[in-house]
Amino acid sequence: MTGKESFYMRTKLVVATLAISALLGSAGSAPVRAHHAFAAEFDIDKPLQLRGTLLKWEMVNPHSWFHIDVKGDDGTVVTWLVEGGSPNQLIRMGVTKNTIAIGTELVVDGYQAKDGTNKAVGRNFVLADGSRLFLGGSAPGALGGQ
Amino acid sequence: MHHRWLPSSRTLVLLAALVGLSLSGTARVAGQAPSPAGSAGETAAAPYTPPRTPDGRPDLQGFWTNSSYTPLERPDDVNEAFYTLEEVLAREASAAERESGQTEPGTRADVHYDFSQFGLDRSQSTIARNLRTSLIVDPPDGRIPPMTAEGRQRAADRAAERAARGGPYDAVQNMPAGSRCIIMGGAGPPMMNAGYNSNYQIVQSPDHVMILTEMIHDVRIIPIDGRPQPPAGVQQWIGLSRGRWDGDTLVVETTNFNGKNPFRGSSERMRVTERFTRVADDTIRYQFTVDDPHTWTRPWTADMPMQRTIGPIFEFSCHETNYGIANILAGARADERKAAEETSR
Repeated sequence: MTGKESFYMRTKLVVATLAISALLGSAGSAPVRAHHAFAAEFDIDKPLQLRGTLLKWEMVNPHSWFHIDVKGDDGTVVTWLVEGGSPNQLIRMGVTKNTIAIGTELVVDGYQAKDGTNKAVGRNFVLADGSRLFLGGSAPGALGGQ
Repeated sequence: MHHRWLPSSRTLVLLAALVGLSLSGTARVAGQAPSPAGSAGETAAAPYTPPRTPDGRPDLQGFWTNSSYTPLERPDDVNEAFYTLEEVLAREASAAERESGQTEPGTRADVHYDFSQFGLDRSQSTIARNLRTSLIVDPPDGRIPPMTAEGRQRAADRAAERAARGGPYDAVQNMPAGSRCIIMGGAGPPMMNAGYNSNYQIVQSPDHVMILTEMIHDVRIIPIDGRPQPPAGVQQWIGLSRGRWDGDTLVVETTNFNGKNPFRGSSERMRVTERFTRVADDTIRYQFTVDDPHTWTRPWTADMPMQRTIGPIFEFSCHETNYGIANILAGARADERKAAEETSR
């Protein structure tokens, strides 16, 4: 199986999982205050899961980009660019470029770019041990008292 | 790795609410003492002596945020001008919970990074709490007044201009100025909160006030030395501002907008009058009046706090690294190819 086929199968698996969770239903969608129209950039019909190692993190605005090397089953390495959020608040919370070491293994759920290139929006970033990258759902007012 | 204490956000919100309630007897909350709405000249009831700059003016300097859950306009189902503190805390808690909630996979809203993961929920940063049910205090119903016929016509003309260029992704000019990294609502004037990074730095000198807006990089350099406004033909995205001291309140008048970044449908002849009053060590009261007879049947005024927050302001070099626009346009072209292939099949 080529890396591409294995990626495709994984994607199909994810699609199936999503279909099931959609059928089961879940909590209402949170309002998203997007800087721009993400659904115009990324394809709702191309959910994917990427497992790879961090090559580079562009801590830039308006959105940061994670460069992730994804190795296929045949050993071929493909670099994906994954879009994440503005880094400014992370910087306030003490996160720096060194917070995630180059080579760190990441699992990213997201959606692929509509143009079919190796770009995606990172819906959720998880470390190899299963913990979420960064601070999800941290204390309300975490910075308010500082 | 940045380790964090991670109880559920619900627990934390409830905890915060309880702490807030137990302190409510002494907490200073902007708008806590209801005052007659509408008078832009009113000052806080509590006596407060602001710190002074070397030239004797109230010191407004430092880092401030106007991040808020309070809407500009009063919701349809609300009649009161103020909530109780308990109501505000409950509303904040439920809004925070909605913000940190996971979106449903396969929905449009899910095609996005997670705000919580990047600390971008409003509940994860300083909130400028406000008991008002709307930022607008005049008209008393808390809503933007009706548009004039001229204002409605201009809105229709602008829509037609966009349509002539095609759909939202057929021309970069059809995409919002914020998406294009030109300007967002934080710069104003009036300075409205952004969804996140709603931070400002104010620096004063005897003859100028500088306001740096984090989202998305604009700097307002406001002369307060009595110089006249330039001719109407000199126009800027953020207009041209002139300031003066009215007692302990900094008053800033802005005209000369270029009309490319209309505020709620305003014309380029809008006049914005802002009033900055330091009412506590950690609070600036920010009031603004929008006067644009070419757009609205009457002027309207809003009143909102700016809360002290932590600095510094981090650079937001939005234009240099805005890969999103190219990706969106590429996505739209890919959609077109796909549609054409399906048609030819």
